[in-house]
Amino acid sequence: MKILVAVKQVAALDEDFEIRADGRDVEADFLIRDLNEWDDFSLEEAVKIKEAAAEPIEVIAVCVGPEEVDESLRKCLAKGADRAIRVWDAAIEGSDPIAIARVLAAVAKSEAPAMLFAGVQSSDHSFASTGIATAAILGWPHAAVVSSLDYTPGAKSAVFRRELEGGLLHEVEIQCPAVLTIQLGINTPRYASLRSIKQAAAKPIEVRSLADLGLSAGDVGEAGSLSRVRRMYLPDKGRAQLIEGDAAQQAKRLADIIREFKGAAA
Amino acid sequence: MSGVLIVAEQRRGELRPVSLELISAAQGLRRAGDEVAVALLTTAPERYIDALKLAGVDEIITVKVRAAEFDPDTFESAIGALIAERHPEVVLVAHSVDSFGYAAALAAKLGLGFATDVFKMERIEGELVATRGGYGQKVNVEVDFPGRSTVLLALRGNVFKPPEAAASPKVSAFAAPAAASRSMAREFIELSAGDDIDMTAAEFILSIGRGIGEEAKVAQFRELADAVGATLGCSRPIADAGWLPKSRQVGQSGKTASACKLYIAMGVSGAIQHLAGMKHVTTIVAVNSDAEASIFGVAKYGIVGDIFEIAEELRRHF
Amino acid sequence: MSRTDAVTRILFEAFPTAEVRLFYALGYAAIGVFGYGVYVQIRKYRRGAALQLEGSPWSRFTEMVAIVLRHSTVARRDPGAGAAHRLIFYGFVLLFLGTATITLEYDILEPLFGIRFWQGAFYLVFSLILDIAGVALIGGLAFMMVRRGWMRLPKLDYARPDRVPGDPDFDRPHYRREDWAFLWTLLIIGGTGYLLEASRLVWLQARPDVWDSRWWSPVGALIAEGLRAAGLNADGGGLLRHGLWWFHGLLALAFIALIPYTKVKHIFTAAGSLMARDPLAAQRLPRIPEAQEAPGVAKITDFTWKQLLNLDACTKCGRCHEACPARAVGAPLSPRDVILSLREFANATLESGVLPAAAELDVHGKAPGQVAMETLWSCRTCMACVEICPVAVEHVPIIVQLRRKLVEDGAMDPLLTKTLQTIHKTGNSFGESKRKRGSWSKSLPFKVKDARKEPVEVLWFVGDYASFDPRNQKVSQIFAELLHEAQVDFGILFDGESNAGNDVRRVGEEGLYEVLVNANVAALQGASFKTIVTTDPHSYNTIRNEYPDFGAKYPIEHYTSFVKRLFDSGKLKVNQPLKYRTTFHDPCHLGRFNKGYEAPREVLKLLGCEIVEMGRSRANSFCCGAGGGRIWIPDPVGAEKPAQNRIKEAAAIPGLEVYVVSCPKDLTMFEDALKTTGNEGKFVVKELIELMREAIPAARTEEAYA
Repeated sequence: MKILVAVKQVAALDEDFEIRADGRDVEADFLIRDLNEWDDFSLEEAVKIKEAAAEPIEVIAVCVGPEEVDESLRKCLAKGADRAIRVWDAAIEGSDPIAIARVLAAVAKSEAPAMLFAGVQSSDHSFASTGIATAAILGWPHAAVVSSLDYTPGAKSAVFRRELEGGLLHEVEIQCPAVLTIQLGINTPRYASLRSIKQAAAKPIEVRSLADLGLSAGDVGEAGSLSRVRRMYLPDKGRAQLIEGDAAQQAKRLADIIREFKGAAA
Repeated sequence: MSGVLIVAEQRRGELRPVSLELISAAQGLRRAGDEVAVALLTTAPERYIDALKLAGVDEIITVKVRAAEFDPDTFESAIGALIAERHPEVVLVAHSVDSFGYAAALAAKLGLGFATDVFKMERIEGELVATRGGYGQKVNVEVDFPGRSTVLLALRGNVFKPPEAAASPKVSAFAAPAAASRSMAREFIELSAGDDIDMTAAEFILSIGRGIGEEAKVAQFRELADAVGATLGCSRPIADAGWLPKSRQVGQSGKTASACKLYIAMGVSGAIQHLAGMKHVTTIVAVNSDAEASIFGVAKYGIVGDIFEIAEELRRHF
Repeated sequence: MSRTDAVTRILFEAFPTAEVRLFYALGYAAIGVFGYGVYVQIRKYRRGAALQLEGSPWSRFTEMVAIVLRHSTVARRDPGAGAAHRLIFYGFVLLFLGTATITLEYDILEPLFGIRFWQGAFYLVFSLILDIAGVALIGGLAFMMVRRGWMRLPKLDYARPDRVPGDPDFDRPHYRREDWAFLWTLLIIGGTGYLLEASRLVWLQARPDVWDSRWWSPVGALIAEGLRAAGLNADGGGLLRHGLWWFHGLLALAFIALIPYTKVKHIFTAAGSLMARDPLAAQRLPRIPEAQEAPGVAKITDFTWKQLLNLDACTKCGRCHEACPARAVGAPLSPRDVILSLREFANATLESGVLPAAAELDVHGKAPGQVAMETLWSCRTCMACVEICPVAVEHVPIIVQLRRKLVEDGAMDPLLTKTLQTIHKTGNSFGESKRKRGSWSKSLPFKVKDARKEPVEVLWFVGDYASFDPRNQKVSQIFAELLHEAQVDFGILFDGESNAGNDVRRVGEEGLYEVLVNANVAALQGASFKTIVTTDPHSYNTIRNEYPDFGAKYPIEHYTSFVKRLFDSGKLKVNQPLKYRTTFHDPCHLGRFNKGYEAPREVLKLLGCEIVEMGRSRANSFCCGAGGGRIWIPDPVGAEKPAQNRIKEAAAIPGLEVYVVSCPKDLTMFEDALKTTGNEGKFVVKELIELMREAIPAARTEEAYA
């Protein structure tokens, strides 16, 4: 039995970043890549289910991206994933979450897992769409923002709680197989020591092409997306009025602001 | 395709305020002859009609479904059918936990233009252009939807102001086709308050974030909050680590500082989820050692400095 | 059988042959028991992992003999115990040699070659020396008994911080019983020896060759006078002698037989431990051998034979327990109890004929003999324990190797986990972008050379804290100014520098340490410089002592000795002597680790400051508590921190104006402690570099920039 975990290697901006000449993205040089924070939790949830299960479960990490995402897949292998799959083709460049979802759905069709986990969103672009779009393409039951999960592999249904706004939880029962997007804090992700990451380097990462998955260039990239980036630009920062001086002076001004507020409120 | 279709949100018998923000947002998209309709899906949608009689709403569409609370399959099926019948140019939903559960699926199934967490919409040379954040909200990204006759947008909350004036829109009922749902909602669970504090009622809040470093430092700020007369709040990492009860968490999955007029954020970087809970506050003072922290973007006053030193100095004045 | 032409003592005089034979039989039996005991111990050590010692066995042996004869390690910081143990040691050695000499003649030389020497003047002087040795032995033992029984020394308190009342191994009464049994047995052997001597004199008082020369055994003779005065006659003396002979003999044989089974074995294990010692044990940690499957120590057999020997060498002296900063603030760590727990575990598992199954050899946990996680994570790796141990037990590598297993299992505080991940991602513990590493230098009025791009004479390895922590950045800026004014050709690596890895290694993340070493070495190899100077003692230690194990040997010094030379050569001049009353805190990694005690003091004196030493200084300096990764682990709420303990020690110096540090972590920890102990306003904490700036005011810099 398999659990498929879709992961993303996200990009954070380095100091003094620059926008690309064509204005549609940031210069690649200034991007610092790492495994998406949410994926630590979804992977850990899958590995926990595997460790608690009576029968053998295979946890498979899948990522859509070029060779550089192997680093993040290795981390997944070090953290307990049994296999790692990477899908890439030049045509995938410029895909929005829905186009990526199409690729993930194809992987899911070929692996036939009992469950598919993804993160609620990615820390770079926060679309919060890829997991649920994959479910729609697969035609699977789905739910988002799962903050606790009770699932026995192979069961017909699972019970989970979604974390709503304002600290409210909603308990739901869902038919399985299903796609669940996992929220931060659902568990405590384990530490992968550098040594285990190095050892995971020995495990192979299976690379698939679009053709392998029965997809064509038209299914992905801009052609397969539901939106297109026109331009990327630096926002005008709403600038706070900075209070200058040493700590004592700054604190005095803050104390004045507080007193003013309390005086007005009185 | 014309007009705007808004999907309002309700939960536990109450209309969620973000629904009203969508109404204001829709007005900017009107072209001549366009209508703005608001749909609401639940077992007894008529209950919400009065709450939706607001300026800018041309039509209220009640959709009676079998699920009283949000259910993905139900929503996708019903709204899909409604879109097929009404052919709106734009469908607006809130970028909320509910819409996380169905919007992308709906867009993928119907091939709608799609963008989430949108905070600005405009027409440029006739084309619909939406603006959202990128790379952790450090850049703005403009997207468009070439070739898509209907576009589904999930709008960020607390950006658009709800309409104030009343109106008398027409009311109609939409018969959604029966749909089998593959999930079954059970119950709502309130997280134990922890210390019965109601952040939503506090007028003066002092929040701490990751910048405080370790649990042992919480005491200093608890004492400071007491001294200045503020309610102690926090960002998510502090509550997740158990240093303060969850009831003290301000943010998207915590509480909204609805009644707050003065918000002092110490050691809070300003992640978008936290901002969601407090950026509307009239006077925000941010104290952080990182001059580039996002919190300075929403604050009225900023102090770039060591939060412990500032806390100590501030304490002397009270 | 007796030839009395010269004065001597006739062995076995008047003993029936059967008794002599019985004695020899018992003697051989004792040797047999002793031999078996030794066999079991050696078999235990051989069940540990292999280890190749550096250096020649002969030089190790001679060094060990020198240390043992000098007894310097026993006398350090406890002159009383040192003096008493010297008496015991020399007394025992002389008495032992004496017996060996007699055996040599009686059992070997005389029967085989007819050689006799134990007679006449030799015999008389011999007897005198042994009598004095006996006094020394008994005197030393008596002092030790008073020390143990009445002086209530904290280091001899067997209460342990890593167990709570109710745990099966919380109380260890058998330790106390064994300690006292050892003392009393030796005392009784010594005492009965004199009584025996005296009773023989009384028995043979009629023989002039015995009686006339009796004062060559003064103690025996005195006691003999007393016995006679008490009414003992020659026959009575003979009976007493016979009885005492057997009592004394049997007790001594039993004592020898039981050496390998009791505390007495420290005679051999301490010598062995000293012979096997690594003077750089805590400064240069061992790499994980390529062949090793899992990192660190999980089972007792993962320890090397030397570490198992270390466990047996411990004499429960308690000095490490007393010196440990974690223990001093109530953390659940006592280096002594880590060693003793593991010793008991090793004895319980490795002394049986058949080695128990692997599952029973796990040393991690809370069962008797095991070491708990909380204990291991409390360690600051300050090496106070290793430094003071008289028998060269190496606690720190043992603790780090146990930590390696914990790290592999992810059994760490979440903040520590996060920090390790941050260091992996950004190369520094602050999570700042690599590009910002040199940003502190941007505000300087001159451009700091980029050592990656142009050759420099001095490469300044700055370190994480000095690069990113705002308080320490100020110190870095001042140091750069001073170097510039002294016209030193220096540069830094900017983004090329990563965390040197000293603390990452001591946390037990060896994999990440290797990544950091490789990154730094790559940067250093790409740069051209004559020497490295660093303001960070942690970086200093690892680059100096550990990087060579990775094939990267660079000349490196801490800024204090470099700056001293700048003063000596006139490149820096003090023109405004400071008249402060100061105290200097020796940073662990500069002082105790690398013996760098004098340079900072000489610089302070050059600046015109008065230095008042704290009680715990130089090799005995008290750690600020940040080492071993503890700066990345939150302290328990409400507990005292080592830095607070230390500041209170400084606060006791009347009129203290400046508490001087020369380490970025010290600066951070002590400034914090100054506030939290309520000493703010009484004195200040300053980096030596800041004092240098005060004594060499910036006005002078106008000339330098001209």
